[in-house]
Amino acid sequence: MTYDKSWGSKIFDSVNIILLSIIGLVTLIPFVYVFAGSFTTVAELAEKQFVIIPTQFTFEAYRYIFSTNTVSRAMGVSVGVTLAGTLFSLILTILMAYGLSKRDLVGRRLIMFLVIFTMLFNGGLIPSFIIVKELGLIDTYAALIIPSALSAFNLIIMRNFFQNLPEGLEESAKIDGAGSWNILLRIVIPLSMPVIATISLFYAVGYWNTYFQAVMYINDVTKWPIQVILRQIVILASALTGDTSDFGGDYVAPPEQGIKMAVIVIATVPILVVYPFLQKHFTKGAMLGSIKG
Amino acid sequence: MKKKKFSTFLTIVTAMALLAGCSNGSDNPQQGASSNPTQNNKQTEEVTQEAPTKISIMTRLHTAEVPSDKLEKLIEEKTNTELDIQWVPDSTYNDKVNAAFATGALPMVFNGELNTFRSAIRDDQFWEIGKYLKDFAHLSNLNENVLRNMQVDGKVYTLYAERPLARSGFIFRKDWAEKLGLDAPTNFEELYDMLYQFTYNDPDGNNKNDTIGLTDRSDMIYGAFKTVSSWHGTPNYWGEKDGQLLPEFMFPQYIETMKFFKKLHQEGIINQDFPVTSKEDQRNLMITGKAGAYIGTMPDAVGLQTELQKVNAEATLDVFNRIEGPEGFKIWMATQGGAGFLFPKSAIKTEEELLKILTFYDQLMSPEVANLITWGVEGEHYTLVDGRTKANEDQKMLDRELKPYSGAIAIGGLSTIPGLYQAKWEDPLKQKAEELVMDNVDFLIDNPVAPLESLTFNEVGARLQQMINDATFHFILGEIDEAGFQAVVDKWLADGGQKIIDEYTEAYNASN
Amino acid sequence: MSQPSTSTATLKSNSDLMKRILKNTALYFMILPGLLYFFIFKYLPMFGLVIAFQDYKPYKGFFNSEWVGFAHFERLFSESDFLMILSNTLILFLMNIVIYFPVPIILALMLNEVRLQLFKRFIQTVVYIPHFMSWVIIVSISFVMLSTDRGIINELFVAMGWEKVNFLMNSDWFRPMYIVQIIWREAGWGTIIYLAAITAVDPQLYEAARMDGAGRFRQIWHITLPAIRSVIVILLLLKIGDVLELGFEHIFLLLNAMNREVGEIFDTYVYTAGLKQGQFSYSAAIGFFKSLVGLVLIMIANWLAKRFGEEGIY
Repeated sequence: MTYDKSWGSKIFDSVNIILLSIIGLVTLIPFVYVFAGSFTTVAELAEKQFVIIPTQFTFEAYRYIFSTNTVSRAMGVSVGVTLAGTLFSLILTILMAYGLSKRDLVGRRLIMFLVIFTMLFNGGLIPSFIIVKELGLIDTYAALIIPSALSAFNLIIMRNFFQNLPEGLEESAKIDGAGSWNILLRIVIPLSMPVIATISLFYAVGYWNTYFQAVMYINDVTKWPIQVILRQIVILASALTGDTSDFGGDYVAPPEQGIKMAVIVIATVPILVVYPFLQKHFTKGAMLGSIKG
Repeated sequence: MKKKKFSTFLTIVTAMALLAGCSNGSDNPQQGASSNPTQNNKQTEEVTQEAPTKISIMTRLHTAEVPSDKLEKLIEEKTNTELDIQWVPDSTYNDKVNAAFATGALPMVFNGELNTFRSAIRDDQFWEIGKYLKDFAHLSNLNENVLRNMQVDGKVYTLYAERPLARSGFIFRKDWAEKLGLDAPTNFEELYDMLYQFTYNDPDGNNKNDTIGLTDRSDMIYGAFKTVSSWHGTPNYWGEKDGQLLPEFMFPQYIETMKFFKKLHQEGIINQDFPVTSKEDQRNLMITGKAGAYIGTMPDAVGLQTELQKVNAEATLDVFNRIEGPEGFKIWMATQGGAGFLFPKSAIKTEEELLKILTFYDQLMSPEVANLITWGVEGEHYTLVDGRTKANEDQKMLDRELKPYSGAIAIGGLSTIPGLYQAKWEDPLKQKAEELVMDNVDFLIDNPVAPLESLTFNEVGARLQQMINDATFHFILGEIDEAGFQAVVDKWLADGGQKIIDEYTEAYNASN
Repeated sequence: MSQPSTSTATLKSNSDLMKRILKNTALYFMILPGLLYFFIFKYLPMFGLVIAFQDYKPYKGFFNSEWVGFAHFERLFSESDFLMILSNTLILFLMNIVIYFPVPIILALMLNEVRLQLFKRFIQTVVYIPHFMSWVIIVSISFVMLSTDRGIINELFVAMGWEKVNFLMNSDWFRPMYIVQIIWREAGWGTIIYLAAITAVDPQLYEAARMDGAGRFRQIWHITLPAIRSVIVILLLLKIGDVLELGFEHIFLLLNAMNREVGEIFDTYVYTAGLKQGQFSYSAAIGFFKSLVGLVLIMIANWLAKRFGEEGIY
């Protein structure tokens, strides 16, 4: 690949890199603040509002959080739900998106309209609860996956990608006698790794963030995913619960600042590391080889 | 080709079916407990050992730990019950209760707000338990006045847990006061003086003008405003005037309070950003030694002092509650009886069952079980020192094993359970704070509309109140003057406020 | 294109239709699971929408609650603040579309132009971290930074000899603060889709363009942008459907007495007027209204998109 060596191009590159560096810094610093804060002692946190590198390193916050197996177990639940859910959702989404990407499918417009309609109109919490209950899913892990299995948004994105694949590919495969399933599995999916990686990430993040469904559909506290536990900790850390005397007979001490930050780190780092692994699918010209070949 | 496509399709459908299938096989304890409550309760007289009563309870979880069932099992043993407790994080509690209600999945007992369920109560969805209470040794000790405040149309449907009635007071930096030669303020002049000196007389001795008197936050009720307002003599939400019930902001004392805050703000004595300050940041100002005073829940002083001393080992806090205003000593009372334990008829089918459940609650109020649920197991969660309890230091263990129960399952309290242990506080600050909380009881002002209902309030009350709260802030910040505030009050009246006044007044006169 | 309206012609077009359907049976099987999902979990619960027309009480259920017709809608429209809420919502929405929407696109283009793989990957990862921070954290950090009491930004101003700015309690700053926070949080995340789309571009096109003497900007304009045009259109259309749907949590945390007249939107209004007092029906009616407006706008936008030669979303 030959690069443009002209002056204009070099200036463009430099300015680009400078701007991106600034943007990178601006987005990174608040997180570094939280990350560092989770390892800082309470005293130092109170003293200096903004700590980037703690002078006194401590694991106290993490020790506190992991001292019972509550958090670890909840994490296990979240990981399991995320993996199973993402896979399940991917299958459903790829199938439906591919089918709907064929322009000659009768009823395509109607079905798309119906899908989009669901993005706008929602029956509400209680009817959904009733449906989940009637299906016998209350208090099961499946309740965290099945009712949220398909995202209309993700579906539309994927369909759009499939639609933009060069028609020539499928034509030549059809001439060789391949059926729809074969085309999907052997040609379309391998070529669509960028969008599949993207949608996997979207679903994974969605499942990882499961909170509301868990609280509504699951009664057994041992089945709670991580976000439920963590949110309790954060709410308690904001020290609001001591006031309202409608409940809370005895004073529950709020966890310290550092703990709140550790909670944020625990909740986000796992999913953060997923993206870099997916980045390898974002390689250019993935499509080209197959057309030429 | 066709075969392959079909088999793939079959695999996928089977996978889906399997997934749905496995979920059906797992436990559904909730359904079990509430759908067959009568089975184990049918007893024959000959059986000497009665089968345990199954009771399902839904309540709020206000700890960050998943509750252990150690205490649950002990209670079950002592009361011959099988408990099925559903813990719901506080933030989604209302949604969950409503969903359960709508699907007929309510447990036998749950903690519900009267305002929300009033119409359901009227519709005969819940058991009236008031008439049974006198038949129980311990339940009959529940305070009549509190129960009366919880009545719906003259009948009692709820059990309650005692909450301290008024915990707010004045928390301040003792070391600063000593340095400046000040005593705890006993009236408004002294209060203002202390706050002023905390701001301008360099109480921390570092020759920098970096301190303020009072730290406050955006919450008008649990922040400083309402407490200072009652000190001025303002009624508690509503008060009687010329035969009518009027809202607190239509009383001159409320305006005086606003003016007081305005003065504090203009003179830099209160944190300038208090209308947007969160509780965390408010506490932070105390902890980092920037502010000298905090008006709020007095027991909070203990936590504040602990954190404060991590930053500054020499700092100390003190609490005080008797600030005399123009009308003497007054403090607002937290509404006792806004919520209680309700007993839905959809889950409790017969009077017999209800009585068994009430028996359980009666036992919860017996000293032995009450101490168990409030303090835990002696030797494990607490030790007895001079007949008082000293709690174990391991907060996390207490959070996990004890606090969920003592906070959300127990009923009654110190004044209704003779024999219930009191805590022994080693920390003198905590001792003083708790004593002053009891002292507050001497001059409570209660809220006359607590047991009353106004339909218009139910509909637009919250929205109208927001208008007044906003106007209060505007006044304090100097953006509107008294005439401007009055204009908002007039709008409040016109937009439904007058109706609310009429409705409450009518109900008030009717019940008196 | 006109067909003779004889019976044979209709028969023929019917059998054509059947042929087309049968040809694609495999495809229908593929979309079946998804259709099932939408039916069970999205369409079945839609009966819940009726509560917008009822005086719904949870214990009475959907079939026994009293019907009130359009009473709730009347109440909404006659609310003295209705126009204020509507205009606030629309203004914030427009700011979203005009100011926020292009940012991820530009950012994606910038990232795409970077040659150093390591740097590119690093920035790509870093820039989407804010998306994972909850609004509670972001708003509280912003408050700490913008406060007039020792906030970093104001300290900086003072150091430079400028006056302090009261960001938090001045309603003029509400909208800028809102949009900056959104950009900070979502821009990086938004680049992901665009970057995925850009991978479809043939690198050789750039070489060819360079041979023709095109500079970097022209290359981007003529090669990269068109490649992601359809994605841009789709995302824009979807965003338009969200017209009255702004992040509740975000705005709720920012709202206070001082900025309410520019910050109150439907969701926060519903919270105070509806949910806090257990008024399900009123809340549902407002939700219904929002959905309806979104639907109408999406239909219009989709039609417009098609007129411009784009493939719409349906």
